[in-house]
Amino acid sequence: MAVAAGFKNDLLAAIPSLRAFAMSLSQNADKADDLVQETLVKAWDKHESFQMGTNLKAWLFTILRNEFYSQMRKRGREVQDSDGIMTARLAVHPSQHGVLDLEDFRAALEKLPDDQREAVILIGASGFSYEEAAEICGCAVGTIKSRVSRARSRLQDMLQIAGEDDFGPDAIAAQVMGSTAA
Amino acid sequence: MNIMTNDKGGSGVKRARTGGSNSLGANAEIGRKLKQYYDGLVSEDVPDRFAELLSQLENAEATQKKD
Repeated sequence: MAVAAGFKNDLLAAIPSLRAFAMSLSQNADKADDLVQETLVKAWDKHESFQMGTNLKAWLFTILRNEFYSQMRKRGREVQDSDGIMTARLAVHPSQHGVLDLEDFRAALEKLPDDQREAVILIGASGFSYEEAAEICGCAVGTIKSRVSRARSRLQDMLQIAGEDDFGPDAIAAQVMGSTAA
Repeated sequence: MNIMTNDKGGSGVKRARTGGSNSLGANAEIGRKLKQYYDGLVSEDVPDRFAELLSQLENAEATQKKD
């Protein structure tokens, strides 16, 4: 069957999002573009399995994600187990008024386990619903929710984000008091 | 809730407010940075190789059909 007219344009339109997702996953521009290229070729070959009217972006993200993990396995890299990883605190200066430097944020994001990073990107940045993200990652909705929540708290921890009241020994004392009182 | 009614000194109120604004403020900031990071990636220029690749795939298919 011929590739439907318009499919090529839809693929073209999806490339910026695919590259952003690939960069988020691989943290490497060359690898990201290879992933996108592989995704486009696979999508073209498998276009018959795409159901018109369904979410093309989610379908493409699924292909790209599968490609990412299969390449990682080929390279012999262990797929990260989020529970086995210690998150080191970054040497960042607690920002004033809770505003973070983008570079610090990028570095913290890079240190997240792969499964947590992809979950928080899909939900917090790519605009997918929890259901769509679960489908893309081939897991339960509850798993996505817990990964997103762990990702958020790890990011907070690494970046030592705190409200302005939290700086200084007084705030620490207040937290200790707060936790014993609770 | 109980803190509000039971605590006359006001320190409990302060604790509750601090805890609440903390987690909400931090999450909001993470959300903003996440969007900023990702939108920056999305708005990058796309190399020509991808459009060329799709044209090649299209042409290859057109050739196949003629055979």
